[in-house]
Amino acid sequence: MSDSVIEAFRPLFEPKTVAVVGASTKGAALPNVFIRRIREFGYTGAIYPIHPSAGEIDGLKAYRNLGETPEPVDYAYIAIAAAQVPPLLREARGRVRFAQVISSGFGEVDEGRELQDELVAAARAGGARLIGPNCLGIYTPRGRVTFTEIGPEETGPVGIVSQSGGLGTDIIRRGLSRGLVFSGLITVGNCADVGPNELLEYFGADPQTRVIGMYIETARDGRRLFEILRATRAAKPVVILKGGRTSQGRAAAISHTGSLAGDDRAWVALSKQTGCVLVETLDEFIDTLLIFQTLTPQPRHPTRRVALFGNGGGASVLATDYYARLGLDVTPFGKEAVDALVALKLPPGTSITNPVDCPVGTLQQDDGRVAEKILEIIYGIGKPDALVMHLNLSAFAGRTKPEVLDNLVQAALRVQARYPGQAHFVLVLRSDGEPALEERKRAFRASAVALGIPVYDEMADAGRALAALQTHERFKSSRRL
Amino acid sequence: MSGFEAIAEARKQGRAALDEGAGKQLLASFGVVVPKSLVVQDASEVRAAFGRLNPPLVLKVLSPDILHKSEARAVWLGITSGEELATACEEVLASVRAYKKDARIEGFLVEEMAAAGQEIVVGGVRDPQFGPLVMVGLGGIFVEVLADVSFRICPITRQDAEEMLDELKGAALLRGARGRKPVSREAIVDVLLKVGGEGGVLMAHAQDIAEADINPLIVSEHGAVAVDARFVLTQAMD
Repeated sequence: MSDSVIEAFRPLFEPKTVAVVGASTKGAALPNVFIRRIREFGYTGAIYPIHPSAGEIDGLKAYRNLGETPEPVDYAYIAIAAAQVPPLLREARGRVRFAQVISSGFGEVDEGRELQDELVAAARAGGARLIGPNCLGIYTPRGRVTFTEIGPEETGPVGIVSQSGGLGTDIIRRGLSRGLVFSGLITVGNCADVGPNELLEYFGADPQTRVIGMYIETARDGRRLFEILRATRAAKPVVILKGGRTSQGRAAAISHTGSLAGDDRAWVALSKQTGCVLVETLDEFIDTLLIFQTLTPQPRHPTRRVALFGNGGGASVLATDYYARLGLDVTPFGKEAVDALVALKLPPGTSITNPVDCPVGTLQQDDGRVAEKILEIIYGIGKPDALVMHLNLSAFAGRTKPEVLDNLVQAALRVQARYPGQAHFVLVLRSDGEPALEERKRAFRASAVALGIPVYDEMADAGRALAALQTHERFKSSRRL
Repeated sequence: MSGFEAIAEARKQGRAALDEGAGKQLLASFGVVVPKSLVVQDASEVRAAFGRLNPPLVLKVLSPDILHKSEARAVWLGITSGEELATACEEVLASVRAYKKDARIEGFLVEEMAAAGQEIVVGGVRDPQFGPLVMVGLGGIFVEVLADVSFRICPITRQDAEEMLDELKGAALLRGARGRKPVSREAIVDVLLKVGGEGGVLMAHAQDIAEADINPLIVSEHGAVAVDARFVLTQAMD
């Protein structure tokens, strides 16, 4: 089963032949941009522009229709007027495997419903699987195909299905700047044929994907989604950003049960029964995907006890309260750990119970070696399930050598390595938005994520991501998975 | 009569819902305990009925036009003699007529009154995207005011059912908070599985049941009895 879904979708994620419909001889239309982007992205397979009259487009030989290309088409990118798409697909004569229809004017508007039915019938008659319509494209680094102007060539662990094209672009752009690396992202629009469920199965089977994110507006076949998620038993974390969770309110319920069953109840139930994680905002979606990209879930000891370590007393007090509401404990260490920390004779102004709050001076003492001693005690005696190290960059600015941050992270990684699998390590880099500081943070974030450390802007963001990790870990723990 | 026959019969008669008797028969055919009961047509039949059931008894009107029986004062509790039963029958008839003059009356359900216990609501609803969902909540204000309920997508497992109960804010009441006796958690889980589990009522009749309320399910230390049941049928083209 898993091999067959991989094989079925290989032409989509690793196309050897790409047809582009809608490119103009003037080179200005969206499909022309698509041709340029995939060439820049390193796509080396055949590209067949389809055009009713032109002999050549962007220096490539053009063909009259999808049935006349020299080789069968793995992936067709189609952006022409909606009414022209069904006749085009009918001519494919079984020679197109996947047709992604970018064009809109189908089922998303009342007057396009019939045309969408016609589109589905035409794709079926022509033998193609249909993606879309009303979407933006696919970003698949392994196939060197992309619809966006940016995106690293590296194939990462995060697989995304998005029912919204625009949000798909946001996920790529904002995700990349936070350190996400994608195994693929596909926008599926109206899902007239291929929908989120099949792609969930693909990413579930794909060995390169370790975490799956879905933006869903309407689950056309929610039951199938439930069955797939239930059958896969949270083998990979699945993060769902659901649009329209609150809209419904069942109009004409007769029973108590009916009146209590808003749309949201089913999604919450889905999460409880399958371990998938529900998030509410784009930022939370990205933050949650990042924690699953970087950390290994520990179902044997689900995350609960968190130690906070860094500079910022008030900020850590606030975080302690917030974490408690998320179901995370920032409880003071026991006597043994406190005694060991007292014995370090830290300078005044250092609070040592948990949160451990150190002034910048303490953190940079001895090139971070004091911090390493503190962390050693936290890990060795305090034994939290997660450690959040938070550094307020504004307090470091102008007072410290640039390598202090590096020293601190290296110290933390050394301690982490001495206690493998014991505690999740999360970094929070706080700043005040000052441009030079932001620049420093950006660079540092990239190198930290590359080392497998999730980095967040605020302790609250880190807390929500840890709570999501906890949801996944607890589900697996409760089902002995 | 099987569940399918009961539903087919209700549809044939153009009803939007199963009447209480048919609803309880449906539950009983899946192994949910319902009170022992008889259906009588009018006061002249009730004395004979009295001798065949163990008092105290309850009398309720059977009418497709009365959706909320307590609102219509169409229920009489704690009946201990044949005479009282006959009176109850007349009084209930009068209340129903006062509540809704032209209500169709198809008889009266006479049943054994369940022993006291914790009132629970078990429900079901057909979600347009996910299909049947099952719900549980504590009866009374917990459901009606606080919406303290938990839902799951059917079919549920035993673990799902256990977790549904753990999730309720009023879960402590089931364990015997404030000097009450603890109630049989196992009995609630068992009903949840018979209603929402694999092969349960909601899965077996997924095409036909739009909404379901077992309200209340009365749970004691020893077991659970479905005291009222309502099954709303899907529209023909639903």
